[in-house]
Amino acid sequence: MYQYSDQDQQLLLERVAQFRGQVARRLKGELSEEEFKHQRLRNGLYLQLHAYMLRVAIPYGLLSSDQMRTLAHIARKYDKGYGHFSTRQNIQYNWPKLEDVPDILDDLAKVEMHAIQTSGNCIRNTTSDPLASVARDELEDPRPYCELIRQWSTFHPEFNFLPRKFKIAVSGATQDRAAVAVHDIGLRLIKNETSGENGFEVYVGGGLGRTPMIGKVIRSFLPKEDMLTYLEAILRVYNTLGRRDNIYKARIKILVHETGEDKFRELVEAEWEKIKAGGLYLKDEDFAWVKGFFKDPDYELLPDNDTEFENLLLSNTDFARWVDKNIELHKQSGYRIVYLSLKTAHQPPGDVTADQMDAIADLADKYSLSQIRTTHRQNLVLSDVKLQDLPALWEELKALDLATPNYNHVTDIISCPGLDYCALATARSIPISQAITERFDNYDFINDLGDVSINISGCINACGHHHVANIGILGVNKKGTEVYQLTLGGSAREDAAIGKIIGPAFEADEIVDAVEKVLSVYLENREDPEETFLMTYRRLGQAFFKERLYG
Amino acid sequence: MALQVYTASLLKEGLVAYLTLDNNLPSWTTDIHQATAAIDDSLEALKKAAEQSEQDNIVVAPYAIDVIKTDSGIIAATKREQIRATGPTIELPQENIRVSRKAA
Ligand code: HEM
Ligand code: SF4
Repeated sequence: MYQYSDQDQQLLLERVAQFRGQVARRLKGELSEEEFKHQRLRNGLYLQLHAYMLRVAIPYGLLSSDQMRTLAHIARKYDKGYGHFSTRQNIQYNWPKLEDVPDILDDLAKVEMHAIQTSGNCIRNTTSDPLASVARDELEDPRPYCELIRQWSTFHPEFNFLPRKFKIAVSGATQDRAAVAVHDIGLRLIKNETSGENGFEVYVGGGLGRTPMIGKVIRSFLPKEDMLTYLEAILRVYNTLGRRDNIYKARIKILVHETGEDKFRELVEAEWEKIKAGGLYLKDEDFAWVKGFFKDPDYELLPDNDTEFENLLLSNTDFARWVDKNIELHKQSGYRIVYLSLKTAHQPPGDVTADQMDAIADLADKYSLSQIRTTHRQNLVLSDVKLQDLPALWEELKALDLATPNYNHVTDIISCPGLDYCALATARSIPISQAITERFDNYDFINDLGDVSINISGCINACGHHHVANIGILGVNKKGTEVYQLTLGGSAREDAAIGKIIGPAFEADEIVDAVEKVLSVYLENREDPEETFLMTYRRLGQAFFKERLYG
Repeated sequence: MALQVYTASLLKEGLVAYLTLDNNLPSWTTDIHQATAAIDDSLEALKKAAEQSEQDNIVVAPYAIDVIKTDSGIIAATKREQIRATGPTIELPQENIRVSRKAA
């Protein structure tokens, strides 16, 4: 992974020292909250429903085991012993004290981490495919590009006060595991069939929130040398023309929508013409340098079978279930990718205790080349596990409650913090996710349902991505009561789609039944078990489901 | 008007706090039961004290909320404020509950 240069480290330490001074002045009363607010938000520090909340960036979701240990240490020393992995591959702490935050940032800086640009109207942490560099369907590792974007966007003076926050995602594989179509900019690595060169398909103007939109392809092929000049051109058009008069209309998706896709493309291309040959044009040595940080490890040459593994697969049903659900093939023979499920009935989705974090770091050292990845579905990944180690790893994960066999299945629920933590929430989301998980906590049922996603948000901001779930749940406040709207038919993958609200909202004690009903309509009407929920929904249509749900 | 108390976030800790006036001496408590509730004109004293505490950098963003008197004490009127008063309604993840970590 990327290693800080002395200059990077210096910059970070200066920033922490600066914030330490700002906190001290705030505590002494020399700064008002109004003045301080802007400074704390520049450093990822929010004031939430119960306490301060610190959001720490995990660049493109990649963590070393030492970084994970530091995250555990922070959870234990300064917080209540846990952290929350979010849909943007970051981690959030829910209970830090203001006076401790400079120390937390110092501890983070020691392992090359920070909270810069995790809030505010700037370019946020670039997200990516959690299976980068190990997936079989990958064209090229997206992380070197993410790192280039990170270096370009961090402290970019021109883009520090955008009309609104700005999120970029990069994917390098056939399957989209980074939800590129619902980001302000999504980059998908593709091969140009004529030249044989790799470059990007460029999506702009995707997003969720109040006005969900699927990004538009504004360039079908962008040579990779032009990545930064083109991004700069898009950001410049947005920075100049994006609306600042109305916070709800400030995202680039609204600009693209109001300007029109073609006109917007013209504006970007015109700006790009001016700067494309400039200093941001990427040269061979730039790629060679950054790719040097993401070289493949020295994989051992191993057979793609193992007797102990196969014996356990035949003799132990629980192991077989886990392998079936939470293991993915690796590009390298003899290795596998392992999903650590953060979705159990015992903990809120994405929450991990400090003890679990430490243990995960140990497991990464022991079994997976000392690295861990976070996913946008709020799980973790050990990306380089030897097939022969799977039985031992499984035993350890079980003891940690991280081996629930449910990856991409009905109880693998995305949930935002909702009204249990969030000051903007209109309803709770975690208790609903827990109630659903409890109801469907049955392997045979989960297995039979197959690939289906449930996402829950506690307000229209849609941090829980409910619009792009096959079954989305949005909590709203109706005259003081929490009620839940159901959206069906969304997808965050290659076939990205925004789900549609199916009908009147349900009370908290009805929503789980409603979800169960929707699932049973699917089970009763699918053509065969190969037809997924989404396929059945698309075949039969909204009215069909609506009639059966409310009829 | 309804019965109200003043609430805010403690500057240092960020925690939710409620204003108590004891012989006109203000203090902030994280326990809503100890908050001083007032109605109509007598709210003015609470408001003044809350604003003073904000200026003194003890609390951030004070505001009044509706409360209800019950047999077991004051409770907030809205769901949001009830959750603010008593913390997340879910069990927080606990260390050492299901984790058995081998000694290094
Ligand atoms: C708990 C404090 C949080 C606050 C105050 C907050 C605030 C917001 C707001 C205001 C929006 C709408 C912004 C807009 O459309 O311009 C939003 C959207 C979003 N937030 Fe959060 N959020 C919180 C937590 C989270 C968490 C835990 C995540 C996961 C990392 C998250 C990820 C997102 C995503 C993915 C969107 C929608 C996608 C988009 O259009 O950008 N947020 N959030
Ligand atoms: S969706 Fe709403 S409730 Fe959920 S975290 Fe985002 S802002 Fe808070």
